[in-house]
Amino acid sequence: MNNTNAKADTSLMQKEQSESVHRFTERSGDYYSAQFEKIQSSTSATLSFNLAAAVFGPFWGAARNIWGFFWLSTIALLFALVQLGRGLWGELGADKLAQAARLGSKSQEMAAKAQVALEAGAANAEALLRNSTNLQRAADKASAAANEAAAGAEQLVMFGGVFLVAVMVLQGLLANLVYEKKYCRWRADYSEKSGFSYANLLVGSLMLAVMLPLMLYRFTATKPVAWLVEFPANKSIFNSASSWLDSAFDTVALYGAGFFDGITSSIRVLLDGLEVVLVDTPWPVITLVILFMAWRLAGPRVAIFTVAALAYLAFLGYWEKSMATIALLGAAATLCILVGVPFGILCAKNRTVDSIARPILDFMQTMPAFVYLIPIIAFFGTGKPPGILATLIFGMPPVVRLTALGIKQVPPSIVEGALAFGCSRRKLLLDVEIPLAMTSILAGINQTILMCLSMVVIASLIGAEGLGTDVLMALQFAAKGQGLLAGLAILFCAMIIDRIVQGCFKPTGRPAD
Amino acid sequence: MTTDVIQLENVWKIFGDNSEQAMKAIRDEGLDKAAVLERFGCVVGIADVSFTVPRGEIFCIMGLSGSGKSTLIRHLNRLIEPTAGKIKVLERDMSALDDKELRGVRAKHIGMVFQHMALLPHRTVLDNVAFPLEVQKVPKFKRWEISQHALSLVNLDGFEYRLPHQLSGGMQQRVGLARALASDPEVLLMDEPFSALDPLIRHELQNQFVSLTKTLQKTTVFITHDLDEAIRIGDRIAIMKDGRLIQTGTPEEIVMHPADDYVADFVKGISNLKLVSAHSIMAQLNSDTVPADVDLGAAIRTDENTSLEELIDLSVTTDLPIVITDETGAEVGIVSKDTLLTGIKGKGDE
Repeated sequence: MNNTNAKADTSLMQKEQSESVHRFTERSGDYYSAQFEKIQSSTSATLSFNLAAAVFGPFWGAARNIWGFFWLSTIALLFALVQLGRGLWGELGADKLAQAARLGSKSQEMAAKAQVALEAGAANAEALLRNSTNLQRAADKASAAANEAAAGAEQLVMFGGVFLVAVMVLQGLLANLVYEKKYCRWRADYSEKSGFSYANLLVGSLMLAVMLPLMLYRFTATKPVAWLVEFPANKSIFNSASSWLDSAFDTVALYGAGFFDGITSSIRVLLDGLEVVLVDTPWPVITLVILFMAWRLAGPRVAIFTVAALAYLAFLGYWEKSMATIALLGAAATLCILVGVPFGILCAKNRTVDSIARPILDFMQTMPAFVYLIPIIAFFGTGKPPGILATLIFGMPPVVRLTALGIKQVPPSIVEGALAFGCSRRKLLLDVEIPLAMTSILAGINQTILMCLSMVVIASLIGAEGLGTDVLMALQFAAKGQGLLAGLAILFCAMIIDRIVQGCFKPTGRPAD
Repeated sequence: MTTDVIQLENVWKIFGDNSEQAMKAIRDEGLDKAAVLERFGCVVGIADVSFTVPRGEIFCIMGLSGSGKSTLIRHLNRLIEPTAGKIKVLERDMSALDDKELRGVRAKHIGMVFQHMALLPHRTVLDNVAFPLEVQKVPKFKRWEISQHALSLVNLDGFEYRLPHQLSGGMQQRVGLARALASDPEVLLMDEPFSALDPLIRHELQNQFVSLTKTLQKTTVFITHDLDEAIRIGDRIAIMKDGRLIQTGTPEEIVMHPADDYVADFVKGISNLKLVSAHSIMAQLNSDTVPADVDLGAAIRTDENTSLEELIDLSVTTDLPIVITDETGAEVGIVSKDTLLTGIKGKGDE
């Protein structure tokens, strides 16, 4: 009973499928429905050969909307035809032949000279004669190579022909499998293109009509025209664009001088404050404060690490430079956080701001630092404040992104719960959203600090002195030991700051058990 | 001055960008849900809902998921704005409130409990309960005192300084309830509060909740997808489907007289023994129903609100029919064993 039902179902399904395959293929529906059924009823790889696809490869792919098939088939076809063309019409060994002719004439020239010298009884006659025979030997070699290359033409034709046949067989075998996959996708998603399209066939043919002659010409002609080998670029476009940008930068630098100076001096105020605290304060005081902070905020383990790291900095004579670096980094990181966290919150709350900020952040992160160092020098000059600005550009994105992510990830149910009890937007942000996003914001701050530190060396290029300068010097003089020591000093600075900051913002409340 | 704490009049909620036009089209052309979706790309969440809840009543809204019940309850404290219609809570027109007034009403007068608790994970239980008071700027010590009391109402003494995730689901939901009670609001909104709990805890909390709201005299709107729960808790029940209230009534009315097949389907499995009372099944006292040879003088008398369950208990003690009296003691009807059995079988007319 069940069995007959199942059988009836099967035949019904077959009928339905056949109808839908007809709709899908539009042409040769009978053929494809039979082939698809064969493919679908087999458990292993099926042998199903599509003659049309084998012969008309790219055209079949184009007409059937299978562009992947079209391209692969086109590339294989072009490769095979280029080999064939080179074998049939290409002047193989033409360059060698020319070389042989050149060498031969030179050798004859030399021989004539030798003859003259011999008759005159000159001393160099023998040497000239030797040269001439040498040249003649080289010429013979070249012409032999040319002959060999010309003989290789037959091999090329053979190889091209075999490759072409192989490609055709392969595309014939694969076509139905690929088409069946496409049919399955189409069945689930009607936006998948189906049917037989003359427009696509035309597009495919046009593309082949452009590509094939150009390829054959390029590879068979001895000396193809120059514009085909190298793009005929126009230098003047480049020159005018770059000089226009130059003048634009100059104009901005000129008219915005007050603005840029304002920024520079305000950064300098922050930096000077930090430098006074870190560099001018006696080192025992700083050490004590840092150790106490590490111990209270991050625990005894971090404190022990901090002792070791500070000892390294002090005994290797990096103390002053590291404090200057930390001041630089501290100024950059403070600015990043002061600007980045509120901006991240704004991005999370406002979709327009978010969609504008996203590409800008991408730009800031991916643009190589050396590129924006140039305009920064143009606008802000050299020294520490411009170095901090360059660091800002690179270090800001993580804190903005992760703050926005953290705020967006606050569960809507908790926000709703707070609102239901009359919570204002301000209180919601301060007492619900920011505490819940804290982990993410902290990760952002951490990332930002580390990114800022990695910019120390690059910033030292424009005069931001500190440990980066040491690395830069080491690079210039290939001083391996000095570079490594300075690099480790930078690393230790980063780790001390990172651990202390992490401990500082650890979420309040009892630890989870 | 009416005693109705909550009044809803023809409330509509249409989700989507063109909700205003869609509303107009529904008014003018009487479009149905599917047509609105097709023409405006708008989803009708609440369709023409009106009801009132008198002071102290527990009003259950029962419906399956997607029926719009959670959307509806969020209109009562304007977490969702209605597209059309009037909502009055405690004599206030909710739509007319400005932001500050609305926050005040939410903090002082309407408590809400959520299916997923929505506690603040970084705050202690005590500070969670104190949150509505904190919003009202009650001084710290005072709000802790009040919260402590609220926690003891839900039997959570001694858990004040735990974090929510250290508590079980049932306890967390009691914290949610304590938070809703903390500012002593007149109105409680319960959005499927017990749905995520296991059956034993759920039963326990239901009982605790009913006795608590009855003693505290809270007006409650209670959302559930569980008809058993609605019957156990609700003074009145509204059945909701596709954004409309299709029947409103006491549990007994709903079970005895389902408005349509949909409701009938729901109540099919519900035992009527506790719900149905004598006056629903009794026969008139006349010569047809009382056989001549029976002396009713010796028969048991009982009140017309006696439930079927109690009637069964009475009936096994006697061979005579039971006489039903009203509040004044006057004889109003009679229940014989046959009537009782038919009544238990249910829905009389089947």
